[in-house]
Amino acid sequence: MSDFQALSEAVHKGDIKTAVAETQVAMDANANIQDILDNGLIATMDEVGDRFSKGIIFVPQMLRSAKTMQECMKLITPFFQKDGVTSKGKVLIGTVKGDLHDIGKNLVSMMMEGAGFTITDLGVDVPPEKFVQKVQEIEPDIVAMSALLSTTMPSMPLTIEALRSAGVRDKVKIMIGGAPVTDKYAQEIKADAYASDAGSAVSRAKTLMGIS
Amino acid sequence: MKPIDIPTFQPRLKVLSREQALAIHTAALEIIEKTGFKMEHPGALQMLIDAGCTVTDDDWVRMPGYLAENALKSAPRQIALFDQQGNKTMPLVDGNPFYGTGSDTTFTLDLETGQRRRTNLKDTANFAKLVDGLENISFAMSMSNPEDVPIDNIYVYAFAEMIKNTNKPLVFIADSSKDIAKIHQIACAVVGGEDELRRKPFLLNYSEAISPLRFPENVVGKLIFCAQKGIPICFPSGSNAGGGAPVTLAGAMALGIAENLVGLVVHQMAGKGSPFLFGPNVSTMDMKSTVVSYGCPEWSLTQAALADMRDELYGLPVWAYAGASDSKTMDAQAGAEAMFSVATAMLSRCNLIHDNGYLEYGGISSLEMVTMINELIAMTRFYVQGIPVNTETLALDAIQRVGTTPGSMFLTDDHTFDNFMDAQFIPKLLDRSRYDSWEAEGSTDLYKRCNTEAKRILAEHRVEPKSDEILQAIDKIVKG
Repeated sequence: MSDFQALSEAVHKGDIKTAVAETQVAMDANANIQDILDNGLIATMDEVGDRFSKGIIFVPQMLRSAKTMQECMKLITPFFQKDGVTSKGKVLIGTVKGDLHDIGKNLVSMMMEGAGFTITDLGVDVPPEKFVQKVQEIEPDIVAMSALLSTTMPSMPLTIEALRSAGVRDKVKIMIGGAPVTDKYAQEIKADAYASDAGSAVSRAKTLMGIS
Repeated sequence: MKPIDIPTFQPRLKVLSREQALAIHTAALEIIEKTGFKMEHPGALQMLIDAGCTVTDDDWVRMPGYLAENALKSAPRQIALFDQQGNKTMPLVDGNPFYGTGSDTTFTLDLETGQRRRTNLKDTANFAKLVDGLENISFAMSMSNPEDVPIDNIYVYAFAEMIKNTNKPLVFIADSSKDIAKIHQIACAVVGGEDELRRKPFLLNYSEAISPLRFPENVVGKLIFCAQKGIPICFPSGSNAGGGAPVTLAGAMALGIAENLVGLVVHQMAGKGSPFLFGPNVSTMDMKSTVVSYGCPEWSLTQAALADMRDELYGLPVWAYAGASDSKTMDAQAGAEAMFSVATAMLSRCNLIHDNGYLEYGGISSLEMVTMINELIAMTRFYVQGIPVNTETLALDAIQRVGTTPGSMFLTDDHTFDNFMDAQFIPKLLDRSRYDSWEAEGSTDLYKRCNTEAKRILAEHRVEPKSDEILQAIDKIVKG
């Protein structure tokens, strides 16, 4: 295992330029790509996430670190297949049909990505058929749905039903969230998990994947 | 000759200079002219094109500033809201403040158990009835997102429930131009027809665009419906600092005002002269929890700024909030945050002030909070009255009598007897009793006393009922 102290420090600070340069240094030194990802980037983002949930750092600082990680990822992603790199899990995410709000959903995406998940974001106003089609196409581990309006919440069970009809419901774990959504509602519509904010979405996703 | 009276100065908070107000307005115009916005309603898009806006990428619109200036001129400078019996109870003009509850909370604090639980239609009824019985709460909103009604008709049920439980003016939510038409029918049934409702509107719609700069079809549909029917509407987007808008308050206000101006232009094109309550919601997003704060000083500051902009530039009555908290229980934090916004909203002369009684940044409604705020408004109202300075209040005669008559005291002087009811603020729920009597009365805190008072009002207050004919008509519309 290599020493990623300088890289880690740059990700903590959100210093994109230095972090990208340090990633390049590690690659030039023939460091293992999985090692850079796991012990350089994700390990740092775990620390960042931890400092965020303890209230030591604020959202913009956490997101700058996540953005820094993304920039570093651009360098190493092309080598994933060749080196057999694995992610924590594949997540398909979107705001449900009828709903155009996306701030919360975007936060969840960024934090999950920081935690090592691979994210496919379908955007807003995503109809059930589109969720189904994408599930069939990319075979994600988790489908995450968001709604801000109580009037669009019913799109969640409709999407679950559509996944069921297509025979893929049991191949994925389903997570839901958004202002009017409750744990009780998640149970009622037989989703697998509810998260009240972006931080808990990451820990729920990890639990669903059997990692902690 | 009779001496000239000394006018009473009424405390008034100003937070913007004229230069600041103009600079924010100019920035808002630059946003609509140069940046543009996404208009997803085809009818509104066509109206904007016809009026001289340019469009790129199907629905990205840039609007000449003069359209906004014209719309500001054609919208009425006063909105009179009536109660459901035809009395003008809320003249929204100049610096008149009116406080009311808020909409759509997912949870409420149960009056019996004190527990946070999911809201239902009975809660909407209770909040409306409580508002009806509180003298300083001028209008009702649903305070509940009822779990026990069909979700595709949720706002129609909530509106009908409010109608049955209060005669005060209502501020309501709708989903689209479909359910708002039903709500309009109900309102017409209450006052006896569309013309009567147009003359004496007792309702105001709350609709919001999505910050930044997005105008969904269903939202604009409601805006146009209200403009055509003469239903007063407010159109505040959630341009919260750091969330839907830049983190700095000036930029967040400029964006929110730009979005409001777009709404106003479409509104005045659809119904020139129809009433439009001006103003965005500019709170702040908490940078630890990402919660949009309801107890922060920022929101009180931006709405005070908006009231200044009304006086300097816009002339239209403004939308505001107060009496809410981020606290999860009705504790000291809830009291402190509620008092801060209640007092500053009145001191800065906001007009229609909603969300009174919210906890958990709008997640929980509380009957006890509303009851407490009724008293906080009374305190603030007293303060804003100022100090009348005249012969009677200077009381030199009383000072002469008491000062020079051995054994006399102010407490027994006629001047005290004649004046104390007006000269003092007399609290009902805030406790000033001596320790022993407080203890003997059960050592209650304010939450407990508000709980008792809310229960008393719900048990004893009688809401003037609607006729059976009206109630039947409403039921038909709700279920039809």
